[in-house]
Amino acid sequence: MTRPRPALIGHRARFTLSCYGLLLVPLALLTLFVYVPVMWAFTKSLFQFEVGGASRFIGLDNYVEFITRDPTTIPSFLNMLFLTLFAVCTRLSIPLILAKLIHALASERARYFYRVLFLIPVLVPGVAVQLIWAGMIYRDRGMLNEALRAVGLDTLVTGWLSDPSTALVAVAFVGFPFVGGFEVLIYYAGLSSIPQSVTEAAAIEGCVGLQKFFRIDIPMVLSQLKLILILTIIGGVQGFQGIFIMTRGGPGFKTTVPGLWMYFNAFSFQRMGYACAIGVCLFAVIFGLTILNMRYFKSTEELVGRR
Amino acid sequence: MGFLRHVFRWLSLALIALAGAWLLWPARDGEAASARRDGRDAANRAEARHVITLSPGSAYLPGAVPFGVGQPLVGLAAVIRDFEKRFPDTRVEIINVPGVREYIVTQLSSGRAPDIINVNVEDVWTDVQKGWYVPLDAYLEAPNPFIREKGDPTAPGYHQWWDMFKYQAISRGKAAPDGRNYCISFDMVETAIFYNKDIFAKVGVSVPTTWEQWLDDMAKLEAAGYTPLLMSIYAFNDWCVDLIFDQLYYAVLPGIDLLQDPTREKYLEGYLDWDELCFLYRQGFFTPRDPRYAELWRHMRALRKYCNRNLANIDTDREFVTQQGAMYWTACPLTYRLMADKELGFEWGVFYLPRFTTATSEFASETEMCVIGGAGMQYEVTNSAYNDTGDPATSEKLERVIALLQFMTVPEHYERIVNEYPCFLPNVVGVPVLPSLEPFEAILERRYTTTKWIFTFDLRFSEIQQRMLELYLNDGIALDAFLEWQEANLEAATQNLLARKNVDMARLEREWDRRAPLRADTRGLPYD
Amino acid sequence: MRRVRNGAMHLVVAAVAALTLLPFVFVLNNSFRTNSEIYHSFFGLPNALKDMAQAGGAALRGRETAFPVDAGNGDIIAAAPDEALARFGAIAVKGYRMAWRVIRPYMLNTFFVCAVTVLGVGLLGSMSAYVLSRYRFPGSKAVFIYIVSTMMFPGVLTLVPSFLLVKQLGLLNTYWAMILPYIAGGQVFATFVFKSFFDGLPEDLFESARIDGAGHFQIYVNLVVPLSKPVLAVVMIMNILSTWNNFLWPFITNIDGRHHVIASGLYVLATSPHASNMSTLFAAYMASSVPLLLLFIYATKPFIQGVTSGAFKA
Repeated sequence: MTRPRPALIGHRARFTLSCYGLLLVPLALLTLFVYVPVMWAFTKSLFQFEVGGASRFIGLDNYVEFITRDPTTIPSFLNMLFLTLFAVCTRLSIPLILAKLIHALASERARYFYRVLFLIPVLVPGVAVQLIWAGMIYRDRGMLNEALRAVGLDTLVTGWLSDPSTALVAVAFVGFPFVGGFEVLIYYAGLSSIPQSVTEAAAIEGCVGLQKFFRIDIPMVLSQLKLILILTIIGGVQGFQGIFIMTRGGPGFKTTVPGLWMYFNAFSFQRMGYACAIGVCLFAVIFGLTILNMRYFKSTEELVGRR
Repeated sequence: MGFLRHVFRWLSLALIALAGAWLLWPARDGEAASARRDGRDAANRAEARHVITLSPGSAYLPGAVPFGVGQPLVGLAAVIRDFEKRFPDTRVEIINVPGVREYIVTQLSSGRAPDIINVNVEDVWTDVQKGWYVPLDAYLEAPNPFIREKGDPTAPGYHQWWDMFKYQAISRGKAAPDGRNYCISFDMVETAIFYNKDIFAKVGVSVPTTWEQWLDDMAKLEAAGYTPLLMSIYAFNDWCVDLIFDQLYYAVLPGIDLLQDPTREKYLEGYLDWDELCFLYRQGFFTPRDPRYAELWRHMRALRKYCNRNLANIDTDREFVTQQGAMYWTACPLTYRLMADKELGFEWGVFYLPRFTTATSEFASETEMCVIGGAGMQYEVTNSAYNDTGDPATSEKLERVIALLQFMTVPEHYERIVNEYPCFLPNVVGVPVLPSLEPFEAILERRYTTTKWIFTFDLRFSEIQQRMLELYLNDGIALDAFLEWQEANLEAATQNLLARKNVDMARLEREWDRRAPLRADTRGLPYD
Repeated sequence: MRRVRNGAMHLVVAAVAALTLLPFVFVLNNSFRTNSEIYHSFFGLPNALKDMAQAGGAALRGRETAFPVDAGNGDIIAAAPDEALARFGAIAVKGYRMAWRVIRPYMLNTFFVCAVTVLGVGLLGSMSAYVLSRYRFPGSKAVFIYIVSTMMFPGVLTLVPSFLLVKQLGLLNTYWAMILPYIAGGQVFATFVFKSFFDGLPEDLFESARIDGAGHFQIYVNLVVPLSKPVLAVVMIMNILSTWNNFLWPFITNIDGRHHVIASGLYVLATSPHASNMSTLFAAYMASSVPLLLLFIYATKPFIQGVTSGAFKA
């Protein structure tokens, strides 16, 4: 990092000022559209408040209720945990394996073809994907049940999104086999950026196949893995749109996640203050996870740098 | 030189951005995504003193093709053209907004909702104290000017607009807990069991007359490989609860129907309003200690055994038309769907649910199943209807908005909208029902229900009940646990209602004591 | 041996691709089928396309077979092959015609919102990343933390207050209700990505430019922008996708329904009476993905370059 040599005392101040000048618009937008709402939410979480209605200060009651008395809290956090872990496992492994397979194909044309092909699911809006799964695959006469009937497994036929024992898993499996999207491309990019010299050196030492995958490829794409991990966790904790479309969180609270419950409290139940308290709790969770991630999960550069 | 070129490039970009911003700022003149009516351009609209926005709901949306069959709808657009001829200073724009809750809240709190919207009136009730809706009683009790100008004093609507509505009990039952009416029950919808006559003949079952026989029929249909009854969790949570509730509580009604609404009572035979239900709950009704209440849910689970597996994401239309389901409990618009299906390979009919007998339940009141119908389209006037002056008393736009509703209910206009295709039944006196919907008209002649259970309390209550009911019906929770959930749910809802509204508990208490002799011989009351 | 392994890998990849694409093929197929076809047979090829093939074959061979055709009003008439071909074609694309009518304005809105958002995000993100990466000034670290920590705020937390804010600012029912918050939120990830890219660039580049006497702005325009093109491509694509997919926010802020983008428009369409014609809905899904498909066919290369350029690390 260099610093321009300050010729005059006023020059340095001017320099700082000009830096902030360039940052003015981004910071103003960020403050107005992100920090102001966040501060508002933090404040309102201390109130009993409904849109268009009265607002009354109640201290930490909303938090106390959410953490100790709301019967949905524990199941919804467990659901969130399951869905996030499931997403982490699938989004970290399957696309990586697939990217490796594509990367190892001999023909450049085939590689390009598959890269584009696996992007196609990204093109269809997420809403549509969920509607497709709910409306075509999980329905009573949907693809899954029809396929089961066709192979004679009639006893397994069920109302996937309605059956308490399958609903959560059915929600988690939306998007199977979890390879449509960026993950493949990002891993692919990571794999392509492994220097030829490393690969050759590995080959000379007899490190090929699976061994190479675990000992060379995975360490070399750690920084990509970490990025996907962070994005998946944030998405898993925050996301509820798909559940909202497919099950509304039912049956019971079998597929409810805190974000969805917050949404219902805010818009249906007229409990905006309570909804804000749920949101603050979610923020605390993400904050904690991010700190953990920063502290314990080092990326390639950091590993290399330490050596 | 290079620097100048860059400055120029950035300047031009900024100019384009500014021009774009200027072009896009006025929201009203932006690219219209909603269906605009033909030949109506921005200049034309600018002339109008009042622009009324109307969200008519799905059934009458001009340009929509119901069930994807036949020609696009035109009826409402034609009536609105006539209205605009009558009031050249007014334009009516039709827009299509989805009637979901978060949409309603955000629209109304920002004061930019369509002037007339179609929302379930029960969703309105939670918000009436916020001034989001215009109470319509004053207009309903005054003459309909379009009837009055015809000069026939015997015509309904000549003296008061209210008289034009055919189903008074249902329409007046839509009054909010504050006693005022915020909605026009534009038409009527009723549910029934659609059944496949071919399957019935093949399996050898007939239209049932008692609940027991119905369950037997369904057992036979199931044995023959059909899904006996198609229905959704919404039908369970709403219609099914009300019907069974009525069957079990009707006999004890004299002892527990504490208050009689003076205007509505002549159209009803006993109805439990929200304050009565809250009071009864406090007396131990609707808790695990109330045997009728526990039985209500048990009957629903017995029925659920014969239903489609997936209650939440329903595919019932397809199962019925492909003859995989023998019966389908749904509302009257399916009639048109079935009539229009050219590949439908079977005869179908409609019957109403059979009554409970003492074999079904010791609490059965042995009356026929009641009516649970309601308005298909319920039109509310919102706070944006008087945004020309900001005061409902002086607003000329509000006058026009009301006039539009009154104009739409004049029989000859009304007929063009509601009877364009068989979907809902007319709720205006003197408008004939389409022949294919006549079975539903017969059902609507029955006695009105004792309660509209899920609509009585708040949205949190109905959301939680629906989830837990789905869980219970799918064997995810035992009845006891379900009843515990319901008690907690009902407690929260009661507290919320009592906190929001002034309830004269002392008066309810007096009425309760006064009716003690009427309850003396009744078995199975919760305080036993 | 190597060839066998390569073949096996092809097989696996192709199988996964088939599984991934199955629902979309299904949607594509059903976008050509009428309601009653979908209802009465679940899997199956579109009748209209089959009929078209027959009529087309007859027309090619010059046969005078008469085909029974729906005249458009429900009557069945007999038509010569040429006419039948046209009519069957009309039936096949009926869903697309209706879908196009409904989503066309949403399409234009989406283009506009995406374009402005992406420009804003690219501009602001690269600018603040450049300043934060290449200069040290009092508070620069704090500013960076101030920016990136917003990634941790759950979107659901700010949904309601953002709505109230946008309402307060009088932006409801405008494109700005979407564009400004999208830029404000989108620039964060962009700043993050650009900064890790700029951090990896050699300092000499900037040093020499500074020695030549170039100011912030000139360095940014002449050096930073050209250098960061591949990353810019990635940031833009990611941003277009998230803008394209966000349905809740536009759904809530577009009260009069005029400024819907595709995602919210599809949601409205799916809940509207138009959706009762299933092919319309399916056709709308298909049509709405075409622009992105085009974008991707052209942008996969720069995207991969960008991802490999070292910016996508955490």
